[in-house]
Amino acid sequence: MKNGVWKKTSLVLGAASAASLVAGLAIPAMNAAAKKKDAQVTINFAMWGPVNPKYNFITAFEHKYPNIHVNLTEIPETNYSQKLNTMVMTNTAPDVMLVWEADIRRFAQNGYIDKLDSYIKNDKSLQPSNFLPAFRQLDQLNGGTYGLPWCYATHLLFYNVDMFKKAGVKFPNANWTWQDYENAAKKLTIVKNGQTVQWGSAPIGFPGVWYSLIGSAGDQIVNSKGQLVIGNGAIRAMEWQNKLTNQLKVEPQPAAKNSAVDLFAAGKAAMILNGSWMISQYNSIKNFKWDIAPLPHDKVKYDDLHTAFFTIYSKSAHKDAAWKFIQFCMSPEGQKLIEEGTNNPSAELSLSKYNWYKNAGPNGPTNWNAFTEAGKYARLGYVLLPPGLTTYLTNEFNASLLGQISPQQVVKQGLAQAKQMNG
Amino acid sequence: MGQSGALTADRLRPLVESHGQRKKKWKTNLVAYAFLSPWIIGFILFSGVPILASFVLSLTHWDMISPPRFVGLENYQLLFSQDSGFWKSLYVTLEFTVLSVVVTVIWALIMALLLNKRVKGIGIFQFFYFVPAVLPSVAMAFVFQLIFNQQIGVFNYILSWFGVKNGPNWLMDQSLVIPTIVFISIYTYTTGQMMLIFNASLKEVPKELYEAAEIDGASAWQKFRHVTFPSISPVLLFNLVMATVGTLNGSFSLIYPLTGGGPGDATNVLSLAIFTSAFQNFQMGYASALSTILFILVALISYLQFALSKRWVSYES
Repeated sequence: MKNGVWKKTSLVLGAASAASLVAGLAIPAMNAAAKKKDAQVTINFAMWGPVNPKYNFITAFEHKYPNIHVNLTEIPETNYSQKLNTMVMTNTAPDVMLVWEADIRRFAQNGYIDKLDSYIKNDKSLQPSNFLPAFRQLDQLNGGTYGLPWCYATHLLFYNVDMFKKAGVKFPNANWTWQDYENAAKKLTIVKNGQTVQWGSAPIGFPGVWYSLIGSAGDQIVNSKGQLVIGNGAIRAMEWQNKLTNQLKVEPQPAAKNSAVDLFAAGKAAMILNGSWMISQYNSIKNFKWDIAPLPHDKVKYDDLHTAFFTIYSKSAHKDAAWKFIQFCMSPEGQKLIEEGTNNPSAELSLSKYNWYKNAGPNGPTNWNAFTEAGKYARLGYVLLPPGLTTYLTNEFNASLLGQISPQQVVKQGLAQAKQMNG
Repeated sequence: MGQSGALTADRLRPLVESHGQRKKKWKTNLVAYAFLSPWIIGFILFSGVPILASFVLSLTHWDMISPPRFVGLENYQLLFSQDSGFWKSLYVTLEFTVLSVVVTVIWALIMALLLNKRVKGIGIFQFFYFVPAVLPSVAMAFVFQLIFNQQIGVFNYILSWFGVKNGPNWLMDQSLVIPTIVFISIYTYTTGQMMLIFNASLKEVPKELYEAAEIDGASAWQKFRHVTFPSISPVLLFNLVMATVGTLNGSFSLIYPLTGGGPGDATNVLSLAIFTSAFQNFQMGYASALSTILFILVALISYLQFALSKRWVSYES
């Protein structure tokens, strides 16, 4: 009996001593871990779509700054702006956001993103003077630099080199007009037994191209107050597209919104006007050689710039780490990865000589000058308007091609819609 | 005083008992409400409050990021003005709803009737009839965009076998786009679900009624008209109401990826207009006004459906 009591007592005491020994050793270790954890910062970063794993600028940043972890929130492109607005409204926005053109002004005016002027003042490469003119103008409009463009994209003319060669048509160049495009489309269209088996031109590939055509036909599109300004240029652009589609029949009728069908990629159309980001998708074309050229022009050379801006959320708890991340992304190291992964050039003039974006596929493109040429005159135009308005107008432009509404009526309705939105 | 003095213990007993019964009934009700409370609380928090909030927001101008500004009935004035797209949206919504509900309910009923035939391998038929219904609507829209593409779509390719060389632009033709989307809607989850509900209710129709009708020499149509239809009429009403509410509120998920409201505003139904106003134009006040109108519309139509149902729905077993 006594033995049993002793046994139990010594067991309890032994266990207690072991526990205090473990605790004694563990506490300093835990303190060290806690300190290490304190030094580790996690910042949240939002962008649309996935990052190209081969050119992952986030991983490269984390490698360079092991104490900063970047937590990526991938938001589907179709809901990107909506989601960011909701996050900002509910005070749950990420530390760093890639903000689209139409949102940056609203976010800046309402104090949701920080002015970056104090951050960039000591960095020559990030001064507004080192960026494309359009971005400098936006800074002036916003009353300071609120975001840094991660790269830029434009609209381009994509053409099937094999079809051009076969038809004996000269390749498009930077001086091509609408008339040149029309003439080439006529020669490239093949009709057999009353059925078109090859189209000279595919329908407009990306809705934004409409606005580049309208701008080229002389309309301002957006004024300094961010309001829609369209008129005769829009009518002219619709009439030209109507001619290609319904009179000359060298371009098929437009397909439904976000159509899954791309007649150019399918090898059924010789030319398409589309976003430059399509280069990375067309890189997988195997059946034919293809190339790019600037958009054909009418009265003036016009193209639209597309970008998104690295911004810092004004309520971020980790602004220094957020800035380090942006600084890295805007550095030659970060810009190289972004250019290679997106096929889009850097907006920083000092980096334009490197041409990292020239990341061609097996069948094209080769005429990369198209980009630099378009970059000279491209501007932030329709992208500053509310996306709902531009979507509405695109639907109306297409309806005019289908004979459902006159171009004049489209302009009238578009302006009325814009007026209603502006209150 | 004299009257109350006349009350005896015997006369008081029933009152006391009824009070006890009331207390018991109250307790029973309380228990029932306690069991229902998770749903009631959920309804108040996630449906009731947002509905009220939406109505309040409809009286403001709010772009989501700056504070809302009270503007009274301005959004409603704007909505009912001639220049707004509301009237066209309302017309398209009603047109699409009527066509879609009629077609999908009839289709679901026909499919259910076919599934009630005594044939071998009925389970396989049931599987194939229902499979399209479980496809996500966005994926389905993508598939139908390919099928109905004017240039390389399968549908026009089949038409070319019959001599139609340049088939129509199904999703971009103003007169064809609504019928095309209605056709596509028979493959949605709502239609598949209705088919299953009809299928279950058809199995509940007493066989003796059919036997009696047969003895009386009733034709197939007469059996359907006088036996099947009255027996399944409550389920038919349920499906009609659900399909109407579903189409009015949920057509967005099919139409947005399929046409985006185009061509022009030919398919810009109210639910799509609400989305565009709220999340693309950031006009939350205007979108809330549209939502309020849609709410009233759904309530009115549902009320009408229930009111008219007294004339044709039979609840007798």
